[in-house]
Amino acid sequence: MRPPTPAHAGSRTEPIMKLATAEIDTNEFHLLRDYIEQNCGIFLPEEKMYLVCTRLTALMVESGCNSFTELYHKALSDGSFRLRDKIVEAITTNETFWFRDESPFAVLGEELLKKYAAEIGAGKRNKIKIWCAGCSTGQEPYSVAMTVQEFARKQRILKPEHVEILGTDISSAVLYLAMAGRYDSLAMSRGLPEEIKNRYFRQDDKVWVINNDVKKIVRYQKLNLQENFSHLENQDIVFCRNVLIYFSNEFKKNILKRISKVLRPGGYLFLGASESLFNLTQDYRMFRHTMGFYYANEPS
Amino acid sequence: MRILSVDDSNATRQFIKRAIDVLGFEFLEAADGKEGLELLTAEGGKVDLILLDWNMPVMDGMEMLKTIKASSQLKGIPVTFVSTEQERHKISEALHQGAKNFLIKPFSQEELIGKIMESLGIELD
Repeated sequence: MRPPTPAHAGSRTEPIMKLATAEIDTNEFHLLRDYIEQNCGIFLPEEKMYLVCTRLTALMVESGCNSFTELYHKALSDGSFRLRDKIVEAITTNETFWFRDESPFAVLGEELLKKYAAEIGAGKRNKIKIWCAGCSTGQEPYSVAMTVQEFARKQRILKPEHVEILGTDISSAVLYLAMAGRYDSLAMSRGLPEEIKNRYFRQDDKVWVINNDVKKIVRYQKLNLQENFSHLENQDIVFCRNVLIYFSNEFKKNILKRISKVLRPGGYLFLGASESLFNLTQDYRMFRHTMGFYYANEPS
Repeated sequence: MRILSVDDSNATRQFIKRAIDVLGFEFLEAADGKEGLELLTAEGGKVDLILLDWNMPVMDGMEMLKTIKASSQLKGIPVTFVSTEQERHKISEALHQGAKNFLIKPFSQEELIGKIMESLGIELD
């Protein structure tokens, strides 16, 4: 692929980004940028004009449109939202690892599950609900499930059946892969300890398949975080890691408020290692673990 | 599901094979359009999707697409173009000749799987 031509200041109708794919002018870019933000929360700065151009050209032509403006209007008038979903799917990125950043899984295994096991033992609860928002191809919910399995091996109170893990993503393609629970050698090489791989996966030729014991406590659902998710109430833990980084501050605040409402009071939130709640919300209290931070829900 | 990749780039075919393996589908491959047509004939047309490159030696993807669409035995097989061709008129031509959709190289595994799902009509429950 050719590198994108640098953007120049120009009149609103002058094409300022000309690639081999198609041309997009600033007006069209702003239409699509705002449409994408309104429909999935992802904010694309000006330097991402090439991304819109390269990723949406084929979709524009497949949809019978002659310009990005036409694509925008067609998406607006598409009551089935299929075109909207395709636009959003083309723009989103899916970068994921097993046990990413380690810290959340250490906190989960060493502190939170221990606390929940004590509550189960005392008859104060019989279920633990964990939601992985933006779960991509399943590495995070399965890493959570394997952490639960590892914990369950070491004591007799908390059993994997006590835990319900929900993975959600906006992309059908990544959810399809997550549901399959099948990974190639490249995916397997990204953060998965050998011992865990041997315990929870079986090899099927060149593909590793996750065990049913892990798979059965995870379910998946397509979800756009821009839309209402109040039905996911009473979560004990929410993983929303490396998701907020794509959103505007306004949308980050909105999402954090709504996550606070579906988290039980005192429930826990994990963010990505480079993310923080600074200047975004007062609804959470920060905790420090030797390897990183996590947050307790204390709605104001 | 049986998926045929027709591409003169061995690296591209291997990348596609990895995605097909992950999906648990059967992978078939050919290095040009002529080889692809021979394989389709040998298989009695029993292929669910063809992932077709455009620029190839011997017989290019457009010629292969036209041959497929002219064949009563093969014309029902969906074809996804997988090509470095990025110009609007090229994509239009491929769709006009009967390609189901178009994937511009380079692409990620997720983008490829999205196109495969669309071509095969796979939807999440």
